[in-house]
Amino acid sequence: MNKSSSLSGKRNREKVVNTVCFVLVIFFSALCLLPIWWIFRSSLMTNNQLYSNNVPFFPPDWLFSNYPQALKNFPFWTYLKNTMTIIVPSVIAGTVTAVLGGYAFARMRFPGKRFLFTLVIGSMFLPVMVTLIPLYIMWTNILKLNGTYWPLILPYFCGGGAFNIYLIRQFILTIPRELDEAATIDGAGHFRILLSIIVPAIKAAMIVVALLLFTQMWNDLIQQSLYIHDAKRFTIALGLSQFKGSLKQDYSAIMCATCMSFAPGILFYLMGQKYFVEGIALTGLKG
Amino acid sequence: MARRPKHRNALLRSETRTAYLCLIPSIIGLIFLTYIPLMEVFGLSFFSWKGNGFTGFKFVGLDNYIRLLTTDPYFKQSVLVTIYYTFMAVIGSMIYSLIIALLLNRKIPARGFWRAIFYLPYLLPAVAVYLGWNWLYNINYGLFNFVLNRVFGLPRVGFINDAKLVAPSLALISVWLSGNLIVIFLAGLQNVPRTYLDAAEVDGANAWQRFWFITIPVMSPIIFYNLLMALITNLQVITPALALTKGGPGSSSRFVSYVMYQYAFENRKFGYAAAVSVMLFILIGIFTAILFATSRSWMFQQGGDDNE
Amino acid sequence: MKKLLAILLCVLMISSILVVNAAAEDVVEITYSYWGTPEEAASVQAVADKFNSEQDRIHVTVLAIPNEEYTTTLNSMAAGNQLPDCGIMNENGVLDFAADGLLADISSMYEGAASMPLDAITFKADGKPVAYSAANEILFLYYNKDMFDAAGVAYPDPKTPYTWDEFVETAKLLTLDGNGNNAASPDFDANNIVQYGCNVDNWTWQLEVWALSNGGAWFAPDGSACTINTPEVAESIQNVADLYLVDHVMQFRDGLEDSGVQSTIAAGNVAMATGGTWNVGTCMNLATFPYGVAPLPVMKEEVTICTGGPQVVFAQGSHQAEAMEFIKWYTQEENSWDSLIATGIWMPILEEYYVNEELTHKWVDNPNFSMGYENFKTSVVDYAHDYAVSTCWYYVPHTNEFLEYLRSELGSVWTGDISAADALNHAEAHLIEIFEGY
Repeated sequence: MNKSSSLSGKRNREKVVNTVCFVLVIFFSALCLLPIWWIFRSSLMTNNQLYSNNVPFFPPDWLFSNYPQALKNFPFWTYLKNTMTIIVPSVIAGTVTAVLGGYAFARMRFPGKRFLFTLVIGSMFLPVMVTLIPLYIMWTNILKLNGTYWPLILPYFCGGGAFNIYLIRQFILTIPRELDEAATIDGAGHFRILLSIIVPAIKAAMIVVALLLFTQMWNDLIQQSLYIHDAKRFTIALGLSQFKGSLKQDYSAIMCATCMSFAPGILFYLMGQKYFVEGIALTGLKG
Repeated sequence: MARRPKHRNALLRSETRTAYLCLIPSIIGLIFLTYIPLMEVFGLSFFSWKGNGFTGFKFVGLDNYIRLLTTDPYFKQSVLVTIYYTFMAVIGSMIYSLIIALLLNRKIPARGFWRAIFYLPYLLPAVAVYLGWNWLYNINYGLFNFVLNRVFGLPRVGFINDAKLVAPSLALISVWLSGNLIVIFLAGLQNVPRTYLDAAEVDGANAWQRFWFITIPVMSPIIFYNLLMALITNLQVITPALALTKGGPGSSSRFVSYVMYQYAFENRKFGYAAAVSVMLFILIGIFTAILFATSRSWMFQQGGDDNE
Repeated sequence: MKKLLAILLCVLMISSILVVNAAAEDVVEITYSYWGTPEEAASVQAVADKFNSEQDRIHVTVLAIPNEEYTTTLNSMAAGNQLPDCGIMNENGVLDFAADGLLADISSMYEGAASMPLDAITFKADGKPVAYSAANEILFLYYNKDMFDAAGVAYPDPKTPYTWDEFVETAKLLTLDGNGNNAASPDFDANNIVQYGCNVDNWTWQLEVWALSNGGAWFAPDGSACTINTPEVAESIQNVADLYLVDHVMQFRDGLEDSGVQSTIAAGNVAMATGGTWNVGTCMNLATFPYGVAPLPVMKEEVTICTGGPQVVFAQGSHQAEAMEFIKWYTQEENSWDSLIATGIWMPILEEYYVNEELTHKWVDNPNFSMGYENFKTSVVDYAHDYAVSTCWYYVPHTNEFLEYLRSELGSVWTGDISAADALNHAEAHLIEIFEGY
């Protein structure tokens, strides 16, 4: 009797806590959405309305016609296709090589491990901008790859960046070693263990890595402007930056194009989203 | 008995081979895309070079470093500004993203939807994000000033045009952008074994104790990773200066990366900019080393160690 | 399996590295780089197509580089010995490129030509021309006629400029708060302004005109000395800052980008604004009210400054003669006429358009100049010919770095934290160091 009332009291308390959490989530997400709403709202106004002393929260005229207008100068599908040509192979290659690297560092013993790991950590300190010129010289003067997408893609076949190797390693470290030791006794090789035990357990982390790579390339304006000069081969980031011209800043067009360029990122996220859910199921099994 | 060490050796050899096979791509990347260019930059920092083809290199010894540390009008302040900004951005985004991740890890309706909302800012094109925020912060046409000035009749606030407010204002954008940290925290929270928490609950641990003694230790490698990533990316900050403030007002948002960028890509003082890069590399190295050193005392590792 | 994977990766990398671009034809291939919005890009492409179709010896390919990344990209290309054959350039980098041997000699471009480009828009190093601007642009005053009518104030005279004091007084009459009081009224509420009287653009390079107007100068006229830290220059900058800080006739501006006209008078919230000629075609053409133009107000001397991005031939390519042929062809007025000159974005560079009224009519008699021929002829064409002097980057090196540092030091002047005189005192040593080169 006593026990069941304490249980139901606990359940009630849980309910209250969940409700409070829900309210907080709604509150925070409203704050979080404000800047995004602001970009969207600005995309439905004229430049003159944007510069008005009156700052309307809702667009005065809801100028959806801005979108076809912006599309005239922002061939979204072409840019999207170009961007995907760069991003898809890079994301896949970057994730795969990061998993291989992260697995080696987390689970294997080999001479030179500490040294290599230190090199990986050290490479994180290096802003992209710093090595831009030496790399530019390598890609253009030595490898003659200017004008192609290769200088943007190939780096991702080379480890996918230190952060990602490190993240994968951290996640593999949280998986109990007993699991793969058991498999080793069953005679499984390293790649079998990686594929059948590690990869399923770190799916969520792999999605995180893929998303990191995705946004990283999505935003890599400086390198893209260095290697791509044919307007037909422009990416979304380059296309967006065109609207800030030499003599005029067309902010409402920038905001339109920005809103359109939300879509691929969101789709990409939604595709990965179900693996987060799966992650929960897996930990349930593991316990 | 005598055969065991030999057997172990063979195992180790095969493991070494496999490990290097796994690491080939990363090693190629590290050598050709990171450390060779880095050495070139380091070498360049002892030269004066205006970037005219492959000509006009002039060896100047330590002159670049001497000027940087003595008469340079930007460098010293840029280091302070970068540290100040990083401090606010890292603390802010760690707290914010941990809170959001904990909230999203509870049983609430339409969890995937809310998670997507908090992740959304991170998916937007970076430059556009800053332009969008400009229409909130702007002293003349921004929403915040409209509310302050026209609704409440208060004087306008400069936000990014005010030397004192610019760094916190930009740090706030960085906090808002930390959707990736939230997702990584969430992935980590889902790796906290439910059974541990249930067992602790049966033993009478309250929510705070469960959080502090189970969730946090299990999460500590993830927390460490997020801290590391936030620290390093914020120390390298440049986009807000490029897209929004141009380092101003005055030099109050002139981050070290931006100083490097200006010397190299605007003024073609590549040798001098290389010296700035080396200093930035050292600066990030120092902060990361501090983080690693302190982590030994609080990071809990479950699966194995890397001290082999 | 694992070997296969490794081999696959290696093959992928090597094969992609071995991609060789083979192109050998009789036609000389040259590249031309430009920045710009998609509209500008389309017109540049059209010009190149026209050139390509008119002859069969040279083929021009255009390289598109976003404006914001333009300088960065050119500088990186220069470092990698990969500059295009020719292209447009930012004014503030021209002399440095010339000094470092990155520009080809174009002194023969106008040899034997009947009409030369205006001397004021010719980039010179040691007195020798190194580049010609593709267009002429000067600064002058735009005003909103409706706002003047509503306030019952007479329009600015198209020939006789305001004195600075008259300008400030007029701006006060045109600055209104939410209750309809103007800034000259004792009831004026500076915390609730709905219409500003003026905007004097403080985008850094434009401030040079006020130094000249106030009897000072940033540099000696022959470019031999930096004279920026003088009371005249300090006062000229303070005057501009005080429009916001003291007189409340101008909204705050941080001087970061070229939106002075677009965000103020063109948007319909400011009565008078200083700006460049290009605004006639880039944003005032969209204005929904009648507007007029007038000379800049005068602090002590009547003056304006002129500028224009040059078309240059870079020295790293092997087809400099062909590149110069294209540039020469491109800068002929008729090839940029429809999209740039007739729309008001560019003013012609040849002197004859300013002195031969028949040609002036050909240029200005078109609906894009909605203020009318007389107004534009008096307040812009004649003004440009009689009062315009070169912006400093035509004869002073390192202006990019100079202006950037000056801009950062003036940031606290616009917010009122320090005075212009203090800012210049503080900045002088490094400004001179930049000027002299280090």
